[in-house]
Amino acid sequence: MASSITHIEPMPKASVRAAADTNAAAALGLTFGSAERRGDTLVVRIRPDEWYLLGDGAAPMVHGLDLTGYASTVDITHARHAVRVTGSHAAETLAKLCSADFGDAMTPNGAAWGNSIAGVTCDLVRDDHNGERSYLLLFDGSFASYVLRTLEDAAAEF
Amino acid sequence: MLLVPCPNCGPRNAADLSYNGESRPRPDPQTCSPEEWRTYLYLRDNPSGWLVESWYCSSGCRKHFTIERHTLTGELRTPILPGSKPGATKGSTK
Amino acid sequence: MNHRLPPADGEVLDRTKALTFTWNGKKLEGFEGDTITSALMANGHHIIGRSMKYHRPRGVLTADFWDPNTTVQVGDEPNVRASHRKLEAGMQVVAQNVWPSLSFDIKAANGLVGRFLTAGFYYKTFMKPAALWPRYEHVLAKFAPGGEVDLDTPHGRYDKRFAHPDVVVAGGGPAGLSAAIAAAEAGSSVMLVEHEHHVGGHLLWGTEEDRARVADLTAAALAAGVEILTNSTVTGRYEDNWIAILQRNHPGVVERLIKARAKTLVVAAGTIERPYVFEGNDLPGVMTSGAVRRLITMYGVKPGKQAVVFSANESGEAAIDDLRRAGVSIARVVDALTGERIVSTKGSKKRVKEVLLEDGAKIKCDLVVTAVGWTTPTSLLNMAGDRPVYDADAARFFPSGAPDNVLATGGMVGDGSLDDLIEHGRVTGELAAGRAAVVRHRLQVATARAETVDEAEPGYLADERTPLDRWPHPELFRASTHGIVDYSEDVSSKDLYSAAAEGFDSVELIKRFTTATMGPSQGKLETVNTVAVLAQARGDSIGDVGTTVWRPPYAPISLGALAGRINEPTRLSVIQPWHEANGATPILAGQWVRPDHYGDPLSEVRNTRENVGIIDVTPLGKLDLQGPDVANLLSLLYTNKWMQLPIGSVRYGIMCAEDGVVLDDGVTARLDEEHYLMTTTSSGAARIWSWIEMWLQTERPEWQVHVTPVTTGLTSINIAGPKSRALLGRLTDIDLDNEAFPYMRVRQGLIAGIEQCIAWRIGFTGELSYEIHVPSGHGLAVWERLLAEGADLGVKPFGLEAQRIMRLEKGHFIVGQDTDGLSKAPVTGLDPLLKFDKDDWAGLPEVRWSLESGDHPVIVACQPDDRSIVPEEAAQILRSGTTEIVGRITSSRMSPTLERSICLAQVSKEFADAGTSLEVLLVDGRRITATVIEHHAHFDPEGERLRG
Repeated sequence: MASSITHIEPMPKASVRAAADTNAAAALGLTFGSAERRGDTLVVRIRPDEWYLLGDGAAPMVHGLDLTGYASTVDITHARHAVRVTGSHAAETLAKLCSADFGDAMTPNGAAWGNSIAGVTCDLVRDDHNGERSYLLLFDGSFASYVLRTLEDAAAEF
Repeated sequence: MLLVPCPNCGPRNAADLSYNGESRPRPDPQTCSPEEWRTYLYLRDNPSGWLVESWYCSSGCRKHFTIERHTLTGELRTPILPGSKPGATKGSTK
Repeated sequence: MNHRLPPADGEVLDRTKALTFTWNGKKLEGFEGDTITSALMANGHHIIGRSMKYHRPRGVLTADFWDPNTTVQVGDEPNVRASHRKLEAGMQVVAQNVWPSLSFDIKAANGLVGRFLTAGFYYKTFMKPAALWPRYEHVLAKFAPGGEVDLDTPHGRYDKRFAHPDVVVAGGGPAGLSAAIAAAEAGSSVMLVEHEHHVGGHLLWGTEEDRARVADLTAAALAAGVEILTNSTVTGRYEDNWIAILQRNHPGVVERLIKARAKTLVVAAGTIERPYVFEGNDLPGVMTSGAVRRLITMYGVKPGKQAVVFSANESGEAAIDDLRRAGVSIARVVDALTGERIVSTKGSKKRVKEVLLEDGAKIKCDLVVTAVGWTTPTSLLNMAGDRPVYDADAARFFPSGAPDNVLATGGMVGDGSLDDLIEHGRVTGELAAGRAAVVRHRLQVATARAETVDEAEPGYLADERTPLDRWPHPELFRASTHGIVDYSEDVSSKDLYSAAAEGFDSVELIKRFTTATMGPSQGKLETVNTVAVLAQARGDSIGDVGTTVWRPPYAPISLGALAGRINEPTRLSVIQPWHEANGATPILAGQWVRPDHYGDPLSEVRNTRENVGIIDVTPLGKLDLQGPDVANLLSLLYTNKWMQLPIGSVRYGIMCAEDGVVLDDGVTARLDEEHYLMTTTSSGAARIWSWIEMWLQTERPEWQVHVTPVTTGLTSINIAGPKSRALLGRLTDIDLDNEAFPYMRVRQGLIAGIEQCIAWRIGFTGELSYEIHVPSGHGLAVWERLLAEGADLGVKPFGLEAQRIMRLEKGHFIVGQDTDGLSKAPVTGLDPLLKFDKDDWAGLPEVRWSLESGDHPVIVACQPDDRSIVPEEAAQILRSGTTEIVGRITSSRMSPTLERSICLAQVSKEFADAGTSLEVLLVDGRRITATVIEHHAHFDPEGERLRG
């Protein structure tokens, strides 16, 4: 089964930066490098002090956060674009463009990290979908057509 | 390709990071002499031995950190977290 | 003579599939499974090429991947290894390095003057007179080996992939297969890489039992889940077991480069048979015992009629059996173990004819087979830091100390029965798997995103393998005569003696001076003989001479494989489809594709200055800055003052690097108490973001500032011209009155009904202008609205070229164009922006010292006296009447507004005053004059249009 590659836009997205001792950090939680679904929002602790909130619930969730202290938020709905790569060959497709170890031990469902896909800095989340292996890629939106083209080229052999 | 021990992400390919070179303390720009400033800008100890060097995890956690690497054997000591500086004098890496 | 033997067990041919091909235009037939070489030899063609320097005719030497004599051109592909490449139907095979033909090669005249073409002749001949170098090059090019390149060859598809195997096994002989099986059965993921087309190593040309063993091992490997890559080579081992694997048989691609991070590497590269050095050793018909065994057993080829075999080991004996089986008469067995030696051979240009032995006998033959010993191909281990040690009793080098995650097995580390080798491979595989398990555990524990590990770390296994025996072997490198040592490079033992006598007597020097070991086999066949001959010349031992350092690649690698898919990231604004559809000529600016113009940049300038123009400036770097310490940060990174910037104001600043050189410039706006928006040049965006993070994290970690790039998140459109206020006014609720919204202010509000838009008044083009930033999901819609709403106002888009002309008319410098890598801040002339009553800012000390010395160039605006001449950018400015360079033109255009040429230039201070006449040297050699004007701006120097 070939992988499906979908450009998921527009997808509401917010970046929340918060130091460890803030209420926002406590509310968002998660260990660095992991993601979890809360309602219709995917919460990703993508950097030690940065969370992505992805999906329709992003704006309300941000609105409900206590941003006192060293905490701030930026709407990145348009700044980062999302592409989802799903299917039995999803990991092999990505392994042609990205040096990460996509095996289950190193990249289990819910793993989140930054890397490079064919020369574009990209955040990845393994977010399996209906029992199928699936990865969400987030990168600077101006690279969207390049990333899609490159992914499709890599997926062509499967 | 070197596996760099990012203190946040874990070991990563050196290509995922930017290398900032030998760590050295920044002189006070208001009081230093041109010679001190230019030594800071252009000269490096470049030891044959243990070197404290700075890396930036640009594709990953986006944090700066330093590690100690032995320039002959490639061995690494455990990484130091950002903000901690090497010894005040350049000679301390010997 | 029929050169093809009847079918027999062990052959890799499929005789039901005949393949037709051509050889130098002549039609021939072979079978599927043949290599090009075996098909040629089966047809009686035993001369396959000519040597590099002397153009000596050459035949098969080793009949495998390393054969140095059988390089051919296949169609448009040069440098094909005929003894490795499998025959395909329709191949057009041509000999390389010959003219006019293989059999009559005029360039073989080289042979007659061989005595003048000794080692190092490149450095000694064709040197003087130097004026004739172009002629020499022209002549020498015709003698260069290497086939023909067809510039119209269609591009092949090459690609790459990454892999994370626990264990990589380099070498698919019995020990390698056994190691792979054991590692896989112990729970490791295993990749086995074999550069020939079949696994099995030396068993492939052995006995029926040997071949059955191969089948068993292969089946066990596949059952254990080993990934087997044949016709693939491990080309390099880099730090921390970063392994490059060149895969030549992946469907759909010409070649694929696999970059693997292996936890353990097992090297089971076996041994490579060494040729013997003697006079005539490169005559066609002289070959190794392995070549004979492969040709007969695998390819059903009869290599000759009458053979002399010089043997020191079992391979020689086995070759004798194979030859007899093939009906080749054995004229004499020269038994090295009893002290017999061959001295030299003689032949015609086409074939060996006679061997001279030490006992004086002269034996007629057309085939000379040597079995004089083995070389251990330790290169991959050397790349891991191992330094091989010579064992004189065994007459070969052995590995002596690779790191813990690199293990060697099989013939590389010793000798034994097949069962011994397989057993050693097995325990090596277990050890490799055990060590890989520890690394796997540690990686998983250390990696933040990985699955948590519950188990304790496995114990690190010590290496308790029983070493293999080392069987004694006579040291046989060179006979009493001189012969070829490096077949690919045409280096003889005599050349090595001469070089040593000239003082190039260290192994590293002699390699580079003679080029021995620098050919396609990279020393596999010739390093030990080179070292042995040098040792003889020096009167030293081989151990004392040592070897050269082996570096990747293990085998030559095509540039296509290194390049892979040429993935060049490009960036597009959301308005790009409109630009394309409306006739924009694109230009690549960094990674961005941008509209340079829409057909007529000069008219775009006129329209913008007369009516209103809009330009897509989305690539402008934009950084969102939030936190209580933003003002401190701006103060630190810009040269001017930022602590009192009011909310709603915009300020321009320049940034310097720590050496005082101008790094970037841009405007920063204060949107709110702790919220700013910084702009950078479009090419500087990523660099400045990194610059800021470096300062915040390493020098000012106590400051609280969050930085987020929003370059792409905001579509930026600059609306410029006298009617820009009127146009924007139709789309926004922001009060655009000059009192309410003066120059260098920022406002937020609705634009085209979209919330969270930002607008500021800045002045790059010198016109009244508003730069708007809208969330880019709406960028295209806003662009189209502006064009629709402004039709009656004469709105037209303008591109980068028009913008450059307009900014030049206003004398605005561009960092990196009008400044360069040596331009410290004072070059810009913006002294009022350099504030020394601030504590600290990047570049402060060097900028101060530069101002104090006054010894720096400055940017000036100048106008060529002949208004029709537009000097080239970078044209030199000279002190009048001399060749002393005192500056250069940095920007230059024809101004439609002023109807004359205008420039910015960097000049020494001496030439910077208004009215100074500058002498400009044009590229065509003409000198023209230009006059320095008072301001940088050629047009509207007071900036009245901006501030209205």
